[in-house]
Amino acid sequence: MATLAPGVKTGPYHAVLDHIHPEPTSFIRKYIFSIDHKVIGYQYMITGGLFFLIAGLLAELIRTQLLSPNGAIVSAATYNQIYSMHGSAMVWMVIIPLVTGGFGNFVMPLQIGARDVAFPWLNLAAFWMFPVAGVILFSSFLWGAPDAGWTEYPPVSLQGPPGTSMWCVAIFLIGISSTLTGINFIVTIYKMRAPGMTLTRMPLFVWGQFGTAGLSFIATTALAGALLALFLERTFGVPFYDPKHGGSPVLWQHMFWFYSHPAVYIMILPVFGIISEVLPTFSRKPVFGYKMIAFSTVAIALLGFSVWAHHMFTSGMVPWLQLPFMIITMVIAVPTGIKIFSWMATLWGGSIHWTTPMLFATGFLITFTCGGLTGFFLAAVPLDYHEHGTYFVVAHLHYVLYGGSVMGLFAGIYYWWPKMTGRMYNEVLGYWHFWLTFIAFNGTFMPMHWLGLLGMPRRVALYDPQFQFWNVFATISSYVLAASVLIFLYNFATSFRSGKIAGPNPWGARTLEWMISSPPPYYNYKKIPAVLATPYDFGNPLPYIGLEAAAGAEEATPTAASHPVPTH
Amino acid sequence: MDLAVIEKVVATLGAIVVFVFALIGLRGEWPKNGLDDIVTKLLLGLMAFGCLLVLLATAGLLPRGGA
Amino acid sequence: MSVSIAKQGYSLGHGHDEDAHEQVIYQETRDMRLLGFVLFLCSDVVLFSAFIFAYIYLRTTVAPSWPPIVGGHQLPRLDTAFAAVNSVVLFGSGVTMHYALENFKHANLRRYNVFMGFTILLGAMFLGGQGYEYAHAQIGGWSGNIFGASFFTLTGMHGFHVFAGVIYLLVLWYQTQRGVYTQERYFGLTAGTLYWHFVDVIWVGLFFLFYLW
Repeated sequence: MATLAPGVKTGPYHAVLDHIHPEPTSFIRKYIFSIDHKVIGYQYMITGGLFFLIAGLLAELIRTQLLSPNGAIVSAATYNQIYSMHGSAMVWMVIIPLVTGGFGNFVMPLQIGARDVAFPWLNLAAFWMFPVAGVILFSSFLWGAPDAGWTEYPPVSLQGPPGTSMWCVAIFLIGISSTLTGINFIVTIYKMRAPGMTLTRMPLFVWGQFGTAGLSFIATTALAGALLALFLERTFGVPFYDPKHGGSPVLWQHMFWFYSHPAVYIMILPVFGIISEVLPTFSRKPVFGYKMIAFSTVAIALLGFSVWAHHMFTSGMVPWLQLPFMIITMVIAVPTGIKIFSWMATLWGGSIHWTTPMLFATGFLITFTCGGLTGFFLAAVPLDYHEHGTYFVVAHLHYVLYGGSVMGLFAGIYYWWPKMTGRMYNEVLGYWHFWLTFIAFNGTFMPMHWLGLLGMPRRVALYDPQFQFWNVFATISSYVLAASVLIFLYNFATSFRSGKIAGPNPWGARTLEWMISSPPPYYNYKKIPAVLATPYDFGNPLPYIGLEAAAGAEEATPTAASHPVPTH
Repeated sequence: MDLAVIEKVVATLGAIVVFVFALIGLRGEWPKNGLDDIVTKLLLGLMAFGCLLVLLATAGLLPRGGA
Repeated sequence: MSVSIAKQGYSLGHGHDEDAHEQVIYQETRDMRLLGFVLFLCSDVVLFSAFIFAYIYLRTTVAPSWPPIVGGHQLPRLDTAFAAVNSVVLFGSGVTMHYALENFKHANLRRYNVFMGFTILLGAMFLGGQGYEYAHAQIGGWSGNIFGASFFTLTGMHGFHVFAGVIYLLVLWYQTQRGVYTQERYFGLTAGTLYWHFVDVIWVGLFFLFYLW
């Protein structure tokens, strides 16, 4: 019978973690309508991965059109639909679901020593909204997809094809999913941590999910309002945004960006969490500045609510209002910079193991920092006047979203691959994937910085011939980038057959999920261990009590026959 | 009698009654500290404030410039 | 959800029998459900806030005058006296709901039934009042102008929440008759009460914004 030593600080004891419910037996309940957070995590990852490939193909269509200044691959009208769908799908059907529903679901309950999330049935419901919303969104091509960019500004969006209304419905639906997941995760993290795991002993990935969940459930309903109003105006003529009927397009911008700026932090904070896990493990060193990284997550989440109008500097805003938005936007660089420097300090003097996740995490440090720096340049109002609506913005957003979120997602996929599949991936293929990605990514998006500064606008099917060379350069690089994804897919598929058996902890990592088998049993932990410290003190003994019992299999787990379900 | 006057009288009387009972309920809840109790106290208080707004309306003080 | 007690496990050092343990588990899951429900209400507040922002923005920054001038004539203000009565009806239902729950907690089931019945009745009366208001408002309809757009959309969303609330309360009332809730375990009633108060307080805001401002 394990007890904590007297005087050791503990969190609240959670009796609710004691139960193990019987494992489902039917195929439908095990793999289709499962309430197991791990299965739901896999479902999000597979669905999000599929949508990533589709949205990526849309991107290749964009790049192919831009090979020539008078590209004739698609008509201008179709081109508008393609980039609008590429952006919408990547933001709402790929990155947000993958970082929250995918990785958040799989990893977070394991890392807090829980058996599942707080509301497993809600988790199931929230997942199934995702593929439905994705089908609604992509099928909008059949009736004319939305064509005013992923930002769908009125009055253009008011005049858009029927797919614009489908876009409203699809994003509204995925928004409900996102809000419910946010609520689920907050309650899980707040109430279901293992005994002894105080907030300042949580893994940093969990901090990332905590901040993100807070952003999700507050900001998403603001978008729901905007979408509802747009839908009502398009369908019933209810005037909100059309100036001809007394409305205002700027109103849409306020309502849209009030959500969509926090959305970009939703897309990056979980990835910051992934980086905070990968770097210490492969430096064999404690993470530098745990509390600063944790608190800067909260700071970024809070500040992220107050900067939305920096997307609207050119919409006719009065100068005295532009100033605070500019300053607070620049201030967000401080907690972000604290993270970057803490991560660099974590690497410093460490015993570096260059595995594929480590490569992606380190590559992230470089490309995300570039993206952050260009964000600072966009925050400066006079510079933004020149850069707004140009390829400079496209460069910035792809550096933070691909160079940031996607690189970080790949780091996470490779890192937790052994835990999820029980197999190792092929490290040589992983190296090829990383280097092709890193080089081709920079080749695709670096030129867009000067293309933008030289005056090439975004969202154009045709452009001035002076810009052609760098467009061709970017397009060819993008084809290499697409090929690198194929290497990843091949690695993934073959690891199931020929990957080395991983065992519980191939990396020698210290967070709780590595203390049990790979893949974990459906109940995660046989007995919930107690936690004495943060998981990053490499070199010291593991800060857990009761691990042997946690991973043990000496007792039969309950079946439906032995434990009838009680009434209310 | 003018319909608006009847409405105002009914609203005034009703608002006073509801206000009083809301405050009695609030006083009963005051010492409790659970999350649901805190939320209840906040919302009962705001309901009572709503009754005050009704009284301001029937007294003609709001909206300014007349209804 | 099935409950199974792990035989050995982390021990706090004091013994407990199955019932006490089950009670701890119930209390903790109740706390989780309460937090989840309160967070859901917060997100619902943001939904209303988005449209309230839209109304305030349109009224203060976009519209040249308020009420707006449509077809050469300025639209009239809404009927504050009638809305005052309807508001008292809704606030009253909030107070009766509070007393319904209190009486249930103290096992006064007859009084619970009376207060619950009044709550549902007053809620339905509010909806009827809104229907009357919609039929008699002279502000040009839902799609005519931004006054109608913001008023009917916001109060419509609110009315939808009231309607859903009335259904919810009817279900809770029925469940109480069937003995689903006990004096120790009545989370559904707590959630219903909080939801009803939330709907009530949103109306405080809307009443002020559309009738008193």
